[in-house]
Amino acid sequence: MSLSLLLEKYDVSTEEGLEKALNEIEKEEEEVEEALSNVLSRACAIEGRLRTTSLAYARLADVRSDAQAAGDMVQRTADLARDSRVAECQQRVHDLIDLQLCSAGVEAAIRGHDYETGAAHVARFLAMDPGSVAAARARGAADPREAMNRAAQTLRDNLVKKFEEAAKKDDEASVERLFKLFPQIGRADEGVDLLARYLAKHVESSIRRNCTIANPSAEGAVFADALTRLLEAGGAVVERARTLAAGAAPARLSRALAIIQPVICGNARRLSSEMRTTRGLSAASADPRRAQYPPEPRTLEPTLDELALMHSRIYLYFAFLRRKAETDASSLEEPAKTKAVVTVHKIIAESDLMRTAQDLLGHYLTLERYFLEESVSKALKMATPQPGVTCSSLVDDVYFIARKCIRRGLSTGSVDGACAVLNEAATQLEREVAAALRRWVRSAPSDPLPLPLPPGTPANAPLDLPALPAATATLLGQRLNRDVEAQKALFLAHMSEADAGAEWAERLAAEACADAEPLFRASPAASAEGERAKFQSCAAGLAAAATAFRTAHDLALAGLCAALKPRAAAWADAIASPTVEDENEAGDALPAALDELAASAHAELPSRAADALLVSVVADITTRAEGRLLLHVYDREGGLAVERRTRRLAAWAGGGAGGARERCARLTQAASLLALERLAHVPDALRPTPRLAVHEVKDILARSGESEDGIGIEIGPRTGIDEIEDEKRVQYQDGDIPVLDINDIPLLIGTHHETPPMSVRVAQNWFKRFQSGDFDVKDEPRSGRPVTEKVNAILENVGQDRHISFYDIAEELRINHKNFSTLFKKDFATTERSAYARTVITRLIITQFEECAAFKMTWHLNTAVWETILGPCGKRDKFSNVKFP
Amino acid sequence: MEDYKFLFKVVLVGNAGVGKTCLVRRFTQGLFPPGQGATIGVDFMIKTVEVDGEKVKLQIWDTAGQERFRSITQSYYRSAHALILVYDISCQPTFDCLPDWLREIEEYANNKVLRILVGNKTDREDREIPRHIGDDFAQRHGMYFLETSAKEAENVERLFMEIAVELMEQAKCKELPKYDGSLGPINGKTTSVSDSSCCLRS
Repeated sequence: MSLSLLLEKYDVSTEEGLEKALNEIEKEEEEVEEALSNVLSRACAIEGRLRTTSLAYARLADVRSDAQAAGDMVQRTADLARDSRVAECQQRVHDLIDLQLCSAGVEAAIRGHDYETGAAHVARFLAMDPGSVAAARARGAADPREAMNRAAQTLRDNLVKKFEEAAKKDDEASVERLFKLFPQIGRADEGVDLLARYLAKHVESSIRRNCTIANPSAEGAVFADALTRLLEAGGAVVERARTLAAGAAPARLSRALAIIQPVICGNARRLSSEMRTTRGLSAASADPRRAQYPPEPRTLEPTLDELALMHSRIYLYFAFLRRKAETDASSLEEPAKTKAVVTVHKIIAESDLMRTAQDLLGHYLTLERYFLEESVSKALKMATPQPGVTCSSLVDDVYFIARKCIRRGLSTGSVDGACAVLNEAATQLEREVAAALRRWVRSAPSDPLPLPLPPGTPANAPLDLPALPAATATLLGQRLNRDVEAQKALFLAHMSEADAGAEWAERLAAEACADAEPLFRASPAASAEGERAKFQSCAAGLAAAATAFRTAHDLALAGLCAALKPRAAAWADAIASPTVEDENEAGDALPAALDELAASAHAELPSRAADALLVSVVADITTRAEGRLLLHVYDREGGLAVERRTRRLAAWAGGGAGGARERCARLTQAASLLALERLAHVPDALRPTPRLAVHEVKDILARSGESEDGIGIEIGPRTGIDEIEDEKRVQYQDGDIPVLDINDIPLLIGTHHETPPMSVRVAQNWFKRFQSGDFDVKDEPRSGRPVTEKVNAILENVGQDRHISFYDIAEELRINHKNFSTLFKKDFATTERSAYARTVITRLIITQFEECAAFKMTWHLNTAVWETILGPCGKRDKFSNVKFP
Repeated sequence: MEDYKFLFKVVLVGNAGVGKTCLVRRFTQGLFPPGQGATIGVDFMIKTVEVDGEKVKLQIWDTAGQERFRSITQSYYRSAHALILVYDISCQPTFDCLPDWLREIEEYANNKVLRILVGNKTDREDREIPRHIGDDFAQRHGMYFLETSAKEAENVERLFMEIAVELMEQAKCKELPKYDGSLGPINGKTTSVSDSSCCLRS
């Protein structure tokens, strides 16, 4: 109680109050005193305790360092214990205990036929550290190894025996159970071998049951079916071996396969040889071409399909094996994995089944080639032109055949096989089909397409019929006419075929490449690219065939143009004619005629060919007309008429045949020159670019009747004229030979002669014979004809290098020499007559000389004759390396 | 297309084990792979070489020598520009088979094909066919002749280069006088393969 409170409580103003307060204070003092003495006494005790504590602390530090030392020691001991394989010792102790158990147990297990336990004991024993066993021996125990080995051996023998018994009984469950024990006794390989042998035997018998041909001659692909079943069984058994082994003894597919595969190989070979005997494909007569009775190609198709199917089945089987090998080895590490896969690949490559497949493929290819060759030659035979036939389906047929063969080739599953078929197909297309088309289109029929003659031209009778009773003549005429029509139609059909052939050959190649893609995907990735390149390269062979078709097509086109030449020449005459006709009627005739030609060309031919044809015909007309201009003399009216006609032609060319317009420019300019009123306008006539050389302009102007004095005119310097001069030569040149073709024959032989010495047809036949390379004038089939002797006589004269005049030859052959002279008027003036005559007659004979020489034809002319003949041609260099017989 | 001017097909034929594959490997890859397995069907290699500054692509078809592949290999003869017929100078039977091979070539190949006889394995000590015998044979049959060793890389480059040069010359000759070869086969063997297919130009 504080003093102030005390003072308040008691009335200190009074004594009593003071007294009380004092008492109170005293009492309090005593209390405090007591408390103090209490505290003091406790302080003593604390002091004592503190002393004890500090003493204890010092002692604790000692303990701690001791403990540390002890801990270190324990740690070191532990380390030491680890280093000195205490654990191993423990393990060994366990082992020793187990060893006792094992060696005792295994024998008991064997006795009790409890192979699982026995095997487990052996497995345990095998898993033991050899050191333990040694240790056990060292401790004086009986050597357990010997006992164990003996036990393991007995176990193995028992297992093998049991396995074989089970296998014999075909007890699959026991087989599987027993197989699983082999890996445990450390004989996984042996187990796999046993299993594989069991499975092989199993599959062998099931194959014998299921894959024997009861009725080999039955319809359908019985052998392919049997082979399929065989390979399916094979695949199943391999897969079974793999799955069984995968659990107990993984990655041993190659081992099992090495045992199972021969069974499959042997059976496949048996099947394939059975098939060969049944289907008549024994090795000796593998090539049906050499067989005594070559089979009909169509009858071979089932065999071909079957062979292809068999081959593809084998390939599928191999692909299956490769895939399984990958799966099987997937659990292994890298180098071992590759090794396992490679081992399987090697087994596949070296297996007899592979050889069987190759043999089958060989047979297939031989047969396929025969089929292809025979089918194509049959198609060719059917398509060989015959009188009255107007259409041809050769290319259709052949395309169908080739496509079928190529697809079948692809269906074998072998890139090599497909490549070989592609090669053969390309050969056939190029060598046979395209070549045949080329042969057939070489000589175009006369007037293959309608090009009406200019009005007022007498139409030549195509053939001169002997005098026959009127009715017979008409009938004969009709028949001949029909044949001629058919011939024309066939020619055009062949030409279109050549065009289609090229396109289809390319399509075949593209289709084949697309169809072959799955094959490349199936082949191993490393080689897929190479295989693809190989295949594409073989497909390129078809492109070569396409080129051959195009060549045939171009040849036909050239023939067609040549065949239209006489009519083109007639039109050229009409254009160049100095007579003036009724403008409207005659002016329309040429465009109308060309329209007719264009219409039928577009109807009969592929449009590209039709265009080319029209351009060529127009070019022919213009070139010829230009030459004709120099044969006439024109008055003003005539010149204008010519100009009018040429403009019509140019206008038509501009609309009807695009490319031909350019060709008309020269003629138009020449005609303009003729129609000139005044020489001063010459430059205008040559606009926009002069196409004619200076001397040509002069020549043409000389033909214009009204400007005869204009020969000496100066045209003035014109740029480009001289350059053009070199390019634009007129057809005939000095020393060159005019190229004759069959349509020039009527002009050579006088058709206008009252009594023609030799009919056009006979002459044309001659020409054809020469063209086809038959120069043997002495062996003419219908010998005895005067003309044979005459030609010989001429040739003899030529051989003696006598100067034969043009008239001599004309006389000899009774050829209308006037025709000769008109045809070659221009050259005639500059060339020596005899040389020219020789040239003409020789040219008739040697038109196709080059090819014949190249193919080493023999004929009955001596070298001197040929030397003479070829001398004036001025082309000896071309033949310099030809040896004459 | 790639940058080359000529493409030629060269086909190697000959008995099994005479070293066709090794020749091709040596030329195309510069390797001599020992323990080469038998070729299956036909192998296909490409090498571009340069002749007179022009790129020439050689497409080399290495055929299997074993009899059972004959029907595959035969299909390659026709499109070949050059055929290399190989024998092993240390193995008489491979030489004795040459006439059979020639018959096969006659039957299937284009008659204008360039034919080269090659005696391979000159590195071997146990030579059985003297050089002049091979040379005589080649001359008798109008073939070029060369002895090579794929192992020692002897004459291998030369073999293929000479083929390239020769074929290129042929191709160039053909270009110049381009007369119309439109005459079809006159007898069974002569064909008009010539102008179109002989050199596929790029």
